[in-house]
Amino acid sequence: MTQVVDPHWAWEAYRPSDASPWDIKKVGHLYRRASFGATWNELEEGLKAGPERTIDSLLRGGPGQDAFDLQTAPLAQSISRANNGALARSWWLYRMLYSPRPLQEKLTLFWHNHFATSNAKVNNAGHILSQYGLMRRHALGSFRDLLQEISRDPAMMVWLDLNQSKKGTPNENYARELMELFSLGIGQYTEKDVREAARAFTGWELNGGKALFNPKQHDDGDKMVLGQKGKWAGSDIVRICLEQPSAPYFIVGKLYRFLVSEALPATPELLEPLAAQFRKSDYNFGAVIDTVLRSNLFFSPMAYRSRVKAPVDFGVGIVHALEGRVGGTALAQSLEELGQNIFYPPSVKGWDGGQTWLNGQTLLTRQNLTLAITSTENPRFGQRTDPAALVQKYGIKSGAPIVDFFLRLFLQGDIAPEARAKLLDYQQHSHKQTVPIYWTQQDAVAHTVRTVCHLVLTLPEFQLD
Amino acid sequence: MIPARRDFLKSALATGGLVSWGLTVPAFLSRTAAAAPDAGKPGARETILVVVQLTGGNDGLNTVIPYKDPEYAKLRPTLKLPKEQVKKLNDHVGLHPAMGGLAGLLQDQALCVVQGVGYPNPNQSHFRSMDIWQAASTSETLSEGWIGKALRQLPAAGSFHITGKNEGAPLALAGAPVRVPSITTLEEFQLQTLAASSADKKQQRTLIEDAARMREGQPNLLDFVRRTAVNTYESSRRLQEIGKNYQPRSTYPNTPLASHLKLAAQLIDANLGARIFYVSIDGFDTHANQLNTHADLLRQISDAMTAFYKDMAARGHKERILMMTFSEFGRRAHENGSKGTDHGSAAPMLLVGGKVKAGVIGEHPSLTKLSMDNLVHHTDFRQVYATILDNWLGIKSKEVLGEYFKPVNIFRNA
Repeated sequence: MTQVVDPHWAWEAYRPSDASPWDIKKVGHLYRRASFGATWNELEEGLKAGPERTIDSLLRGGPGQDAFDLQTAPLAQSISRANNGALARSWWLYRMLYSPRPLQEKLTLFWHNHFATSNAKVNNAGHILSQYGLMRRHALGSFRDLLQEISRDPAMMVWLDLNQSKKGTPNENYARELMELFSLGIGQYTEKDVREAARAFTGWELNGGKALFNPKQHDDGDKMVLGQKGKWAGSDIVRICLEQPSAPYFIVGKLYRFLVSEALPATPELLEPLAAQFRKSDYNFGAVIDTVLRSNLFFSPMAYRSRVKAPVDFGVGIVHALEGRVGGTALAQSLEELGQNIFYPPSVKGWDGGQTWLNGQTLLTRQNLTLAITSTENPRFGQRTDPAALVQKYGIKSGAPIVDFFLRLFLQGDIAPEARAKLLDYQQHSHKQTVPIYWTQQDAVAHTVRTVCHLVLTLPEFQLD
Repeated sequence: MIPARRDFLKSALATGGLVSWGLTVPAFLSRTAAAAPDAGKPGARETILVVVQLTGGNDGLNTVIPYKDPEYAKLRPTLKLPKEQVKKLNDHVGLHPAMGGLAGLLQDQALCVVQGVGYPNPNQSHFRSMDIWQAASTSETLSEGWIGKALRQLPAAGSFHITGKNEGAPLALAGAPVRVPSITTLEEFQLQTLAASSADKKQQRTLIEDAARMREGQPNLLDFVRRTAVNTYESSRRLQEIGKNYQPRSTYPNTPLASHLKLAAQLIDANLGARIFYVSIDGFDTHANQLNTHADLLRQISDAMTAFYKDMAARGHKERILMMTFSEFGRRAHENGSKGTDHGSAAPMLLVGGKVKAGVIGEHPSLTKLSMDNLVHHTDFRQVYATILDNWLGIKSKEVLGEYFKPVNIFRNA
């Protein structure tokens, strides 16, 4: 790609204009990135409210957040007691589906991919859920606090062997990934830095599920890390990492890929204003999110459909738009098949994302998942996500309006005209087709609605975020 | 040999017909190729390569064990394997006790161990080092893989990434002229519809496939989705013609890796002209309490690869098969304080097949002359790749690797 973007323009607030009006496509785009897609009402209300108010309400979240937390908390406790990692996934997906503040869940997912910790090794649903809680608390808060606390987080301590790292025989696992994956990026430190930093992190143990510092196991000698010498402890290493010029760039670069684009390269020049803001605000992540979501670049064609939908966005998005009421378990299993098994990332690097989400197998599995969700005949979803019921709710008349309803709901009508023509053609001829003898007229109509919905979801455009 | 198909492809490539559409299907799975002569018919002798990736950094020192070296026990106070249990390959080294299957293939002249493999200035990041191995390059930015590039010289060779559920397509396969299909199982590799009748089903499928084919001035990413879709729908249709009830001639253990290799065997047996397979197994990042975890992983590899080899041998494909293992790095010579090992560098590669030079190639890296506490390599992994490219796949390694690498003596009569 050869586009040159003015970094100053890129991060200035977007104002609707004749050249770039506030339209349904932008509402859909905003909800795909800052939430898990939109419902019909969210699209229509966002269109009326305009960008500022819509973004405000996404940042703030809707009413009933405390009640929702109270409602979901007891289940988390019993999942922890039963140490049921599979249910922990369902629980989080339930929160993604129905939280009044989906942006917080979405950014918690960002941090989960950043501090990618797998319960396959941790094997403790309580630890995993408490790490989730830590990331959610700081999801739009201070990255400094998050990084300090994650270094003493029980799930992380097990995952990267911090709890095994002792004076004289340090374990390098955490120290390396802290620099490579959590704060600086490869090439910004030496092997010597890793080994010295590992000494600083010795002495942390898990006691009754809590992180405890044992001075006897801590190496309190001098360490030389990233050019600074002292009797460093783990928290000093985190501080030293955050003093490196590469740290703000590394984090906003990852955020850029998550919220803005996987296609347009994140050059240092483009990221500079964001990185500067991040550094000056002492790593206030929420403020950077605010800037990005309101920006010109975010609402430009360069960001539009410039990511491949992650499985979570794909699956949660469909159920959300269909206003389905499902437990998280059906989705958790399906998303595992699509390659995004939450709380079980493939490695400490998290999911590679982007084009790696889609291959022959995952594409077919995605298409087959859309069928499972829309058919009403799949045991995982049943009638809880019935497109025919949605069409009835909004009083959509049969015929062309059905096609256009689903195209607007899922793709804001933005597809190749030939594809729409083919869908209309299918819809118009559907009444002529042979159906099983026991079907009522109503069955046949509902079948066409569900099929049209399924076909819309199989369009290539729907794979893009 | 399959001259007809090759010639077709050559002419298609020459006119730009097949490739420049941008919506190509793997040639061996396309309708045209389906009509081409059978690669699997008697007389077909095309070589097959199965790459087995050990993800996480396999502890080479406890895979190929220098059981006679007194330093070994000193480096591994809690992780050392007892001398008498090691599966001896010669008077110096032997395989881990869990690898009896592979060690047994030595009698069949089918196991070759290349010791001390690595590359200069080894990187100890999992992800960077894995990229280096998969791209066969240490350049700063890596966007194409060594297999992907090799496939440009083998346009008719069928290739598959056989994958688990939480695993993306590897960099190693990037850069292929047509995307290499990833498959989990044949049953799951098909497009389902909810149709009122068979006519309805056909209409729906046609609509789904046509929508993927349509193009106008579109962004790159959408084009990528369309290519993947067209490629997949057509491959899927072709693969559904394969018999579902594959009867292996050996017993595969019930592990994911073994299932992957069994599917590879089935695809080889299905006469599609499949020649390249890529599979992986994760879990080798053993920083703590390594002993049992590592033994279990090595048992899985050994048993799965042995079953595959025996299945293939029983079907007369013994001399067409070459399996190659690799990992992004070995592990630190001295164990750490958590009964595990931190990231290291040099490690062995295992080669299995009917034409390998059986036995051990090269010395075990010295246990005393370490670099940053790590074993030092004497053989560059690209030397092994080059030998496989030149002498096994019959293509020019220099075009894949960018430079000449001295071959390693890994094949009989090579």
